[in-house]
Amino acid sequence: MYPIVLLSVLGIVVLFLGFMKSKSVLLPATLLFLVLALASNFIDWNQGKVLYFYEMLAVNNLTLAFNAIVLVSAFMIVAMTRGFQDQEEAQPAEYYGIMLFSLVGAFMIIGYEHLIMLFVGIEILSVSMYILTGSDKSNLRSNEAALKYFLMGAFATGIMLFGIALLYGATGSFNLTDIQSYVSIQGRGVSYILYAGLLLLLIGMLFKVSAAPFHFWTPDVYDGAPTIFTTFMSTIVKTAGFAAIFRLLSHSFTPIYSFWWITLAAITVLTLLVGNIIAVYQNSFKRMLAYSSISHAGYLLIAVTSLSPQTENAILFYSLAYSIATISAFGVLMLVSKKKALEGQVDESYAAFNGLAAQNPLLAFVLAVSMLSLAGIPLTAGFWGKFFVFGSAVERGLVWMLVVAVLMSAVGIYYYFRAIIAAYLKEGDIGKIRIAPFYRIILVVATAMTILFGLAPGIFEKLL
Amino acid sequence: MMQQTPPIPEIIQAIPLQSYLILSTALFVIGIIGVLTRRNAIVIFMSIELMLNAANLLLIAFSSYKSDASGQVFVFFIMAVAAAEVAVGLAIIVMIYRNTRTIDVGFLNKLKW
Amino acid sequence: MLSDFGIILLFILAAIVLIMVVLGASRLLRPNRPNEEKLTTYESGEEPLGNANVQFNVRFYVVALVFVLFEVELIFLFPWAVVFGNVDLIEQTDGRWGWFALAEMLVFVGMLTLGLAYAWRKGYLDWVRPTPQVPHTPSPVPPALYEQLNEKYAPKVKVP
Repeated sequence: MYPIVLLSVLGIVVLFLGFMKSKSVLLPATLLFLVLALASNFIDWNQGKVLYFYEMLAVNNLTLAFNAIVLVSAFMIVAMTRGFQDQEEAQPAEYYGIMLFSLVGAFMIIGYEHLIMLFVGIEILSVSMYILTGSDKSNLRSNEAALKYFLMGAFATGIMLFGIALLYGATGSFNLTDIQSYVSIQGRGVSYILYAGLLLLLIGMLFKVSAAPFHFWTPDVYDGAPTIFTTFMSTIVKTAGFAAIFRLLSHSFTPIYSFWWITLAAITVLTLLVGNIIAVYQNSFKRMLAYSSISHAGYLLIAVTSLSPQTENAILFYSLAYSIATISAFGVLMLVSKKKALEGQVDESYAAFNGLAAQNPLLAFVLAVSMLSLAGIPLTAGFWGKFFVFGSAVERGLVWMLVVAVLMSAVGIYYYFRAIIAAYLKEGDIGKIRIAPFYRIILVVATAMTILFGLAPGIFEKLL
Repeated sequence: MMQQTPPIPEIIQAIPLQSYLILSTALFVIGIIGVLTRRNAIVIFMSIELMLNAANLLLIAFSSYKSDASGQVFVFFIMAVAAAEVAVGLAIIVMIYRNTRTIDVGFLNKLKW
Repeated sequence: MLSDFGIILLFILAAIVLIMVVLGASRLLRPNRPNEEKLTTYESGEEPLGNANVQFNVRFYVVALVFVLFEVELIFLFPWAVVFGNVDLIEQTDGRWGWFALAEMLVFVGMLTLGLAYAWRKGYLDWVRPTPQVPHTPSPVPPALYEQLNEKYAPKVKVP
């Protein structure tokens, strides 16, 4: 609750700070506010389940941990913006303000207890993202991405709302606990309206996290948006979205598990197949990361589908590992493509990394570690993320799904290693890239966290 | 939080709940078809609004049949949030129109796999 | 016996039938001799100029967007107004309810005001006027000379 209130107010403060002459105060202020929010987040730590806002928001250790992941990712991303100093027409105050507001939306859907909170949170998150996607106003690609994202996102919202309306009609309440008690009393005899409502609501939410039949907007939007906001989208929206889906299913709809699991399992397998196989054919690194984010949505869906006691830890660890690795991969991409843009041509393909290791060993190492983590190679956080996810699937006995997932991670190794091969083995003429000190710290810390959690995943569980 | 709500007026009961369900489902489906088949961004946008209003209608109908105000409160939220979405969406469409002089979605093909 | 909705249906049907009868009758009775003047769009007596499908100035658009936002946010005042004046609640809480509700709404309206202030400060509410272009001709004759000439030769018009 505290970070929600804090960031709502501080977001406005950041907006108004933008009127000051000096723009250089914005970045430190935003970072400070994020740290404050992170600190206030832990006020409720170990208090058990606490309800706020007239029982519309629940707070427990799980939601706080998700909040923390979101805040840490946001901190890294905001730090990597470097105050948008190199873009002339950028509006740093507005970007930071909108980023803080979108975090509020993320917290709301992580801990919602009432479907109004879910709806308002998703909308805060999505509307902020539409704006940030289109923030490069004169760039046609950014324009197009914004329009596609907006139309698809609003479409998904419409579907989701209709689902919520049907759920309300069936159960007579928006409260997750009330819905849960209705479902468990009625058991399998719940009305068909509830089934339809649940399906539509799930479709709407799966749209937002880009699961397979509803993923078609993802590559275009991720490709067209400015890279820094692509990073924001692919980490924070995904983490919060999965927290929301997991909360909905685990909290309210466990009694009718036998109804929804088969649908979700089909979507999971489709997501894995589509994400991994199409990613193989990409030449653009940025676009490959978009498909990779679809395939990671598939792995996270495995955990949600299996819904065993391990699931919450698995989702938590996986989102953390995925977010950190994605942030460092995009961080390296931003540096390299900026260098290429200075030299005359915008290049976000694999070939942009050719010969990176020769003059920039640090960047090549960061890239390699993040790729290994995304591919799920041992000794990185990504491996343990996949391990926990597969473990929860085994517990539920979904072996066939596991087979698909393992095969698809093998496919994944191919396209992740293309970037490593380009960086280390190919010849290229990338000169020395100058990295700002703060940027370097963020990259090093992200890489260190990936390796640390890879060597000792137990640290994470101790923290919980 | 809930107060004593008056019983459902007879005039509302004159129409069975099923009719509302069918009407709003029809509106919803028309909206979906509009989104999927039209090529003009504004028309797609209008179809999406139709979908939202189908959900609103359904919420209101359920709310008055259950004598429970929370459905109507939800509608207030949907209306307010939809207005914000409209503002952002129209801004995006105008931005694109300024750059390309068209709002036909078929024209947007810079991004392909 | 007709239900209430049946009466409404009858009204709708009657309206449609009546309009069709009136329009059909006038169509049958009137002479049909169109000319260009008659076929032009009626614009309250003005001569219509150009296509109706013209672009409006962008400045209307920003103001309209800001208006839509603030107008729609105010729908939250309606449910608030219902409970604000609720006599039972006020009596139960010794009148503290009224102050509480008022404070809540002040916070809400305050947020909106901040948004308005932001838009104002950013200059989105300014009515962008086109700067008048004064035609400038490079002439060796200073303007003051023209003034003198005008003073001297211009016919003195008595303003009644």
